[in-house]
Amino acid sequence: MSNFLSYTLQSVPWGCTFALVAVGLVLTYRATGVFNFGFGAEAYAAGVIYTELFDHGVNRVWAAVIVVCVVAPVFGAVLEAGLFSRIPVGNTTAKMVTALGVMVVLPSIVQLFPGTGNLQAPFAPFFAPVIPIFQVGSFFINGIELTTVLATMVTLLLLMALLYSKRFGLPMRAAVESPKLLELTGVNSRSVLRSSWMVATMLAGLAGVLFAPVETPVTPTNYSIILVAAIAAAAVGALRSLPLAVVGGVALGMVQGVVQGYIPQTSVWYSALVPSLPFFCLLVLLLVHPGMRTLDQSSDPMMAVEPPPPTPALAQRPPHINRLIHRFRWILAATFALIVITFSPGPWIAALTIGGAYSVIFLSITLITGLAGQLSLAQAAFAGIGAATTAQLTINQHVPALVAAVAGAIVAGGGGWVASLPALRLRGLPVTLLTLCLALLADNLLFPTSWIGGGANGLTVPRPHIFGIDFSDVDSKSFLLLVLAVVLAVSGVVHVLLRGTTGRALAAVHASPVGAASSGVAVRRLTMFVFFLSAAIAGIGGALFAMSFLQESPSDFSWFWGPTFLVIVVTVGATTVEGAIEAGFGYALIAQALTYLPSTGSSSSNAVQSAVTVLVLSFGAFTYASHPEGIVEAAKRGIATTVLRAVPANPFERVGRKNS
Amino acid sequence: MSTLLDVRDVSKSFGGNAVVNHVSLSVEDGSSLGLVGSNGAGKTTLFRLIAGELAVDSGDILFQGRTLPPRADDRARIGIARTFQIVELFGGQTVLDHLLVALQAHQRRQGPWRDLVHGGRTTPEERAACMEILSVVGLDDRAQAPASTLPLGERRAVELARALVCGPRLLLADEPSSGLDGGETAQLISIINRVRRETGLAIVVVDHDLATVEALADHVVAMDAGSVIAHGTFAEVTTNVDVMRSWLGVTP
Amino acid sequence: MSVLELTDVHAGYGPYKALTGVTLSVQSGDAVALLGSNGVGKSTLVRVASGLVPTSQGQVCVLGRDIRGESVHALARRGVVHLPEGVGLFGDLSIEENLLLRLRRVPAPTRRRRLAEALEALGPLGSRRRTKARLLSGGQQRLVAVTGALAAQPTLLLADEPALGLSPAAADEVYAALERVRSTDTTLIIVETRLGRVENLCDRAVVLSSGRVAYDGPTSGAQDVLTGLIQRQPE
Ligand SMILES: Nc1ncnc2c1ncn2[C@@H]1O[C@H](COP(=O)(O)OP(=O)(O)OP(=O)(O)O)[C@@H](O)[C@H]1O
Ligand SMILES: [Mg+2]
Repeated sequence: MSNFLSYTLQSVPWGCTFALVAVGLVLTYRATGVFNFGFGAEAYAAGVIYTELFDHGVNRVWAAVIVVCVVAPVFGAVLEAGLFSRIPVGNTTAKMVTALGVMVVLPSIVQLFPGTGNLQAPFAPFFAPVIPIFQVGSFFINGIELTTVLATMVTLLLLMALLYSKRFGLPMRAAVESPKLLELTGVNSRSVLRSSWMVATMLAGLAGVLFAPVETPVTPTNYSIILVAAIAAAAVGALRSLPLAVVGGVALGMVQGVVQGYIPQTSVWYSALVPSLPFFCLLVLLLVHPGMRTLDQSSDPMMAVEPPPPTPALAQRPPHINRLIHRFRWILAATFALIVITFSPGPWIAALTIGGAYSVIFLSITLITGLAGQLSLAQAAFAGIGAATTAQLTINQHVPALVAAVAGAIVAGGGGWVASLPALRLRGLPVTLLTLCLALLADNLLFPTSWIGGGANGLTVPRPHIFGIDFSDVDSKSFLLLVLAVVLAVSGVVHVLLRGTTGRALAAVHASPVGAASSGVAVRRLTMFVFFLSAAIAGIGGALFAMSFLQESPSDFSWFWGPTFLVIVVTVGATTVEGAIEAGFGYALIAQALTYLPSTGSSSSNAVQSAVTVLVLSFGAFTYASHPEGIVEAAKRGIATTVLRAVPANPFERVGRKNS
Repeated sequence: MSTLLDVRDVSKSFGGNAVVNHVSLSVEDGSSLGLVGSNGAGKTTLFRLIAGELAVDSGDILFQGRTLPPRADDRARIGIARTFQIVELFGGQTVLDHLLVALQAHQRRQGPWRDLVHGGRTTPEERAACMEILSVVGLDDRAQAPASTLPLGERRAVELARALVCGPRLLLADEPSSGLDGGETAQLISIINRVRRETGLAIVVVDHDLATVEALADHVVAMDAGSVIAHGTFAEVTTNVDVMRSWLGVTP
Repeated sequence: MSVLELTDVHAGYGPYKALTGVTLSVQSGDAVALLGSNGVGKSTLVRVASGLVPTSQGQVCVLGRDIRGESVHALARRGVVHLPEGVGLFGDLSIEENLLLRLRRVPAPTRRRRLAEALEALGPLGSRRRTKARLLSGGQQRLVAVTGALAAQPTLLLADEPALGLSPAAADEVYAALERVRSTDTTLIIVETRLGRVENLCDRAVVLSSGRVAYDGPTSGAQDVLTGLIQRQPE
């Protein structure tokens, strides 16, 4: 019993860390309408700056004050002015994508600065180092822990006073729903929203500073772990209640402490169960918490005053340009592909192969996001499941590689189908969180298991052997052709669904669920199918990806790739098949091109390279608000319009008439 | 004539508040029922219960003598169509697409299977069926316009066309005339009456405009605070003392 | 004193032009009915007056000052209350909070009294003051929005179809309340599609037709113009 007590009490400070971040998430969500996936990244940046300031001789307290009270609010104001203020109020998808963009891009930016790879944080700002300050029963609280607990309690009280106050909180909550209507009551809603963002990022700054000394070295991964645990804590209050978020955070910390205390450290369960505990909690809460159903339901009552959103490029492209592209695109693409394949040197062939595999994975995102309007963060995990199944079947059951890949697709599809079941009742944010949960669980439980993902070293994956052709060279051109054939087939399927009855029906469901149901659209069947197919396609992509490396390694499919892929695809264009393909090849080719940069051979330069690749492709997440069809697609529209101006009449029409 | 819709002793409450309180009413095949009552009387909630958007707490709803399937889309496919108090359109989709979605859903010719096997293209018959309904509601020249850019009167017409395109047996129309001007209301009434004459469609119409109710409904049911307080012809109901007080606001 | 002066105002949304040269002058204490069929620009006109929709040409003066460059909230603080088309409430806030937002600029003791009065005016709804507005019926939401706008005691009230979705009884009550407001020195501009509702309240009617003023004069004369316009419409 006394063990139990000390396990629980000991983990209160740890739980307070979750609670603090959870409170930050809830406040941001309620005061800005954005579920800030970037919170962990912001905290990480704050932690880095805090540490750097300290390393440059700034006193700990001052460093903390500078970060929390100056750097963070300025950053918040910049975020608001530069990004979030440009998003129309009702567009929750754009808000989420932009927040995901912050999550993916900000750590990459920070890591571009030399020396940020291996920072050791100074101690907490206010108390002496790890010297015990308090004694409670049989254990001690040190300065860091005391700071965390106090900061959490003070923050909670201040924020509750703020959010529920009539003077400040009321306009804040109103501004989320409709800035225009709030203006009509005589409140400057721009400045309200800006202050909300400043307060929100100050919280991220505070969390970053407090957390840095606990978990050294300061890395983005550590911060994202905290972020997920905090989401689980916030889910206790349905992402809306501040006090319940704190309760959730502390409870989560305690449960973790108890589990950690009773399960022996040598047990297999220890490494698997303890870190996944928050994900399980989040999963259960998402499934059973009644408050989740009413999330994301409000719509701006002043919508009619806004000008209509820009139409997607395809609809705007003049018909004869469409016809032109349509007529020649196969010939153009085939010629181009032949030239490229014939003349490319080995490493580029390999890069193109990987690009093809990426394209397939990205097409799965086109399907679920572009078609069903649902943001899924689990596509990388589904790809991983496909790859792992393929590997296991070929190695252990000696199944032919292609058959194994199809089996992998079906298993991954099954995963997608499971994910769709809760998605039938929920929509928007909770579904996105659910996919995040699934990705994390796969990452922590499935991939490290030897008979599934093969553990840290992964598994070897052979390439297929059909018609007596051997595909097994790393830079085999025939394997590239095989991959291209799969890309072609998958994009055909996705294209037909996008433009056919399914696409139209799902767009209807997305715009008005009640309206669609009242018209007889079989919402459940379509949703389940899209989730299944999308996961299956990701599974095929994963199998191809593993085959192109002849190796399946779980780190290729770690959960963080889910949001990264999503942001990249949305950036380039999630509403057309071309978007995914361009993104896939673009990603692989840019990565290949970057290998020509002067390299120091150290692991940090690798990190820089992947950071740059991600940066290049995902900066456009920030343009998502104005170009929901993607920047590349938008650029094409621009070019088409320019070309049109230069060529006033349609030459082909005239030719046709002469001939007849 | 047989009973098309039979609502038997249906109740629904939210957080202990009885919003629909032991309501019974029935609609004959091909007839029309006006449903009136003060704001918050529970009219829209009753529609949501019939259409399957909400589940009843107690009571039964029978359609053509059978219990209804639980989900809204299934109910729509067996012939219950609905328009909304605040229009529910499919965002920026074109007017024609709105009708295609409903038509294809109704004919069960919608979804991945059709797309993969038949290439997902719209057939000329489907297009013709939609255009015919559009010409009935007077929107044939708007087929390619994005619905969100239309004025309110035409948006309501799109909703009506979408409801009619699958040939429903029962139409639930929630305040069809709200926000329309005199000319538009007259047009709407003449469309609905014409469709009813031609197809034998039964309707339940909620409205606060007396003239609209009188023009559309053979029979009127009045509700207040979740319960039915009067029923009969338009004249009978509008001269009922309780109705006059709670809905019309005149003291007899 | 002139409360609202529009001179040759053009305004619209993107490429769509809703107003094409409207000139209008409203004096303090006037009660003006803004009539016309749907889509002729009535809502746009009141949105221009409250600063929500910018003009592309022409001049707008509210309470004696040109509003060019003035923000919506600044105008609202000068006593312009716009009851927008549609619901006009924050669905996630409670009835009480929605009312309080309208009363933000009133000093505390008066605010408490006026809040109590407003809740009183809502009748049975007043006892559900903590209910989220989104859970109310369409008509109930409109009633709360109208009550909030009136509680703000505006200098210029721009009411866009105040009785939309209300039962005849509730609509009568709303117009009775507007009648009471009129006897203070509030200037009223009321958008309506039905002339019958405003005949008693307003002495002056402005009829719009395709973005322009088709009639401006006593309410009694508006009926002929309206019928004429409807008949001229191509069927
Ligand atoms: N989800 C809900 N939770 C709580 N109360 C609700 C909910 N939905 C409706 N109500 C309440 O039920 C009552 C009836 O609402 P309903 O929308 O059916 O009224 P109505 O008769 O259509 O009124 P109106 O004429 O104004 O449209 C209202 O008091 C409303 O507040
Ligand atoms: Mg209603």
